[in-house]
Amino acid sequence: MIKALAKVAVSAAALLAACVAVAQQFPERPIQLMVAFPAGGSTDVGARVVASIAEKILGKPMVVINRGGAGGQVGWTEMARQKPDGYYLGYINLPATNTVILDPERKANFGADAFVPIINQVLDPGIVWVRADSPYKTLKDLVDAAKKSPNTIRTATTGILSDDHLAILMLEEAALGAIFRIVHLAGGADQLKEILGGNVDVAFDNVGSIAPRVRSGELRALAVMDHQRSKFLPDVPTMKEVGYPSVISSSTRGIAAPRGVPPAVLKTLEAALRKAMEDPEHIQKLESAGLAIKIMVGEEYAKYYRETHEQAKKYTEWAKSRAHK
Amino acid sequence: MDTLQHLVSGFAAALSPAYLTYALAGCALGTLIGVLPGLGPAAGTAILIPLTFKLDPTGAIIMLSAIYYGAMYGGTITSVLINVPGEAASVVTCIDGHQMAKQGRGGTALGIAAIGSFVGGIVATVALVVVAPPLAKLALRFGPPEFFALMLFGLCLVSGLAGRSMLAALLMTVLGLLLAMIGIDPVRGAPRFAFDVPDLYDGIGFIPVVMGLFGISEILLAAEAPALAAVRTRLSRLLPSREEWRRSIGAIWRGTGIGFFLGLIPGIGSIVPTFMAYVAEKRLSKTPERFGRGAIEGVAAPESANNAYANAAMIPFLTLGIPSSPTIAVLMGAFIINGITPGPFLFQERPDLVWAVIASFFVGNVILLALNLPLVGLWAKLLEVRFEYLAVGVLLFCLVGAYSLQQSIFDVWVMIAFGVVGYVFRKLELPLAPLVLGLILGSPIEKSLRTSLEMSGGDYSIFLTRPLCVGLLIASSVVLIGSALKLAPKTLREA
Amino acid sequence: MAERVVLACLGLLFGGMAWIALGYSLRDALGPGAGFFPFWLGALGLALSLALLVQSWRGGSIAEAPLALLPRGEGARRALALLASLAVAALLFQPAGFRLTMLFFSAGLLFALGVRRPIVIALFALASSFGLFHVFYYWLQVPLPIGLLGI
Repeated sequence: MIKALAKVAVSAAALLAACVAVAQQFPERPIQLMVAFPAGGSTDVGARVVASIAEKILGKPMVVINRGGAGGQVGWTEMARQKPDGYYLGYINLPATNTVILDPERKANFGADAFVPIINQVLDPGIVWVRADSPYKTLKDLVDAAKKSPNTIRTATTGILSDDHLAILMLEEAALGAIFRIVHLAGGADQLKEILGGNVDVAFDNVGSIAPRVRSGELRALAVMDHQRSKFLPDVPTMKEVGYPSVISSSTRGIAAPRGVPPAVLKTLEAALRKAMEDPEHIQKLESAGLAIKIMVGEEYAKYYRETHEQAKKYTEWAKSRAHK
Repeated sequence: MDTLQHLVSGFAAALSPAYLTYALAGCALGTLIGVLPGLGPAAGTAILIPLTFKLDPTGAIIMLSAIYYGAMYGGTITSVLINVPGEAASVVTCIDGHQMAKQGRGGTALGIAAIGSFVGGIVATVALVVVAPPLAKLALRFGPPEFFALMLFGLCLVSGLAGRSMLAALLMTVLGLLLAMIGIDPVRGAPRFAFDVPDLYDGIGFIPVVMGLFGISEILLAAEAPALAAVRTRLSRLLPSREEWRRSIGAIWRGTGIGFFLGLIPGIGSIVPTFMAYVAEKRLSKTPERFGRGAIEGVAAPESANNAYANAAMIPFLTLGIPSSPTIAVLMGAFIINGITPGPFLFQERPDLVWAVIASFFVGNVILLALNLPLVGLWAKLLEVRFEYLAVGVLLFCLVGAYSLQQSIFDVWVMIAFGVVGYVFRKLELPLAPLVLGLILGSPIEKSLRTSLEMSGGDYSIFLTRPLCVGLLIASSVVLIGSALKLAPKTLREA
Repeated sequence: MAERVVLACLGLLFGGMAWIALGYSLRDALGPGAGFFPFWLGALGLALSLALLVQSWRGGSIAEAPLALLPRGEGARRALALLASLAVAALLFQPAGFRLTMLFFSAGLLFALGVRRPIVIALFALASSFGLFHVFYYWLQVPLPIGLLGI
């Protein structure tokens, strides 16, 4: 009996030692950090900064690779297929990742459980903005106009079923009677071009993309879709302040791994990435780019993932069945 | 503040030893990136962003910009020598450039490309200094309906690319357009013709397709009769003959003009200006049958257009903060990481930086010319290598190139498949240029149509109520009718 | 003859794509649906292929001087060698890893094309496999595949 117990104890100890050893040996070669969007975008910018710091902590290079295409679907599909050994990580952008999974026409061959979220880096709240000389001075102006002449105000998103698209629907739900003519553009730069050119009237995007231009007076922001005001744009009211507390939307960028990575490895990665994100250089570089850091790990991030998925489900279904496409 | 004064101080900065070195390094690296297979300017620039963390912002941007227009030239080298477009915009140069190389005039082709690029770049940069802001604002009028009309116009130009059989050219165009429709559609945002193959969700990659159609097919064709490859071993002249100079000068100016104006419009992409410049030259030429067989204008025009476009695309970027292409978007990312926001206020907030960068464009173009012209002879000698080594080298080049684009073996298979397709098509004299044109234009045409309709709420009159759009549509109709008039008697005769 | 086969294949391709396009909606609230352009382009392509086929039957041809599609003799052997090695390399790329695949690719193809100088082959093969790998993997940070054998 004692002998059996001893055997179990020894094996357990050996197993524990092995796990610790694996964690200690990890990483043994370069780690790939996948960004599901083309180089130069805000996710990419954040990725490169964190990678350059994290690799010093981990002792092995962390290489950012871009797998843009199909609104991120290409990259996430590839990540779902990778070996869960901790050497391939990727950014998940919520709710974009969620809508790809939820839209039946996209035929995503991975589900919500294909990834294990490790740590969130950026939470970029949604924002409604117009040209500086636009007739809409407040969000109320915009909503009133949308109610008065439904389906005439050309409202730009950054893509079909993007967080901006869902946010427009949230606003329509909260402000009954307001209907926007939704125009899907190809990203923040495209929105800028069309707004400045007068081809669309208002844009829904995220703070990070345009904060500097709002500050310089080139553009006017009507409302921020967060619980509190953005520290980059302290003069812009929140949706709650203008009467629509239910319109909360943001785009988060976080790092995940394919499901099945050993817990010890995950812990090492989480610790290293967290340390990198708390590094003053990281904070300074991201802030100068207008990206609000919000670190979430463990259960907090997992919960956020689940909640975002639920919310996205509702609006994705509505978007697909909406009369005015 | 006086523009001239700004420019002078900008030059003083740009010619300082440090910044000069960065510009030099950028040009050299850029050319190398352009030559290297698969690694396009966007990826190459992105890789070097961390480098810029260590440099001051001005230096970083000077270097990245130099890499950008350096890469444009690098792609030309492989197009001319081995018929493999180093990056998308170099496709058009393959058509006549490689033919010139096969006739032993590869050095001349590269030389005129360098000179044409230089002229294009300098003119565009001068224009940047002189007329930037007002022109940029004007270019903003180009919304989705105008885009649609412009792309349609580009499509109508296919008649200028047809050889003997117009029907065959049309067939190839339709094939290109259809292939472009594989992938996510602009209506539902869902994959089309993807058959649950994730690699197809974003469509067939353009670079693997053209690498196969042009590069691989070339090697396969040459394999049949390597005796022909012996032509390459003739000594190549570096400078163009008097006759060739005469013909090129007009082509260079026209190409520069086309490239410049199209560069002002964000989102056009670098291939459209090169195609348009090529077709314009062919149409204006008194001997259009020379095109496709080694006409020097067929290299001079697209190359000037290419560089003029690249430099002109900096105008909407610097003055309005709108990136025209993925590479410039990477540049913008670099700006942002360094805490600089490009846009109208940049000129006021950081004149020292902006003017140093603009001055470095001048300097960079000069460096590029000085760097590449002497090397032209060296590059051309490459073709004197024996076929066996050249063939294996080119195939290696293509294999690595296609794979390194997205680290996907699927791209390699696409390239091989289109290599066979290209081989077959070329044997049957089915023209490849219209196929490429269709492939490039398919997506923008459909997307801009869709966006225009979203803007108008489904109302087609949007295309008829905007003057710029109407103008372009009329131009397209003129081209179409003109081609039909030329085609009709011929087909009637054949029937 | 070859022209007709190719045209027929193209016709089938166009027809097939048009058929599939019908499955994507042709119209939607705002205008052409996802299937609109593919369908009409496919139909147009089919029509053009048929027109060219008819022309071919009547004795005309697209090419000015039609070349034999399939090469003969020595040329055929070489072209086939090139194609086969490309295919094999693509198949082995990921399982065998970049370096091994390229090593055998270069050496094998050079040999198949008639080169008989072992030192040159060896140098070429080493440069193109291990040399290129080093440049891309370490300097350019482009991950090239490492195979099952760890090479």
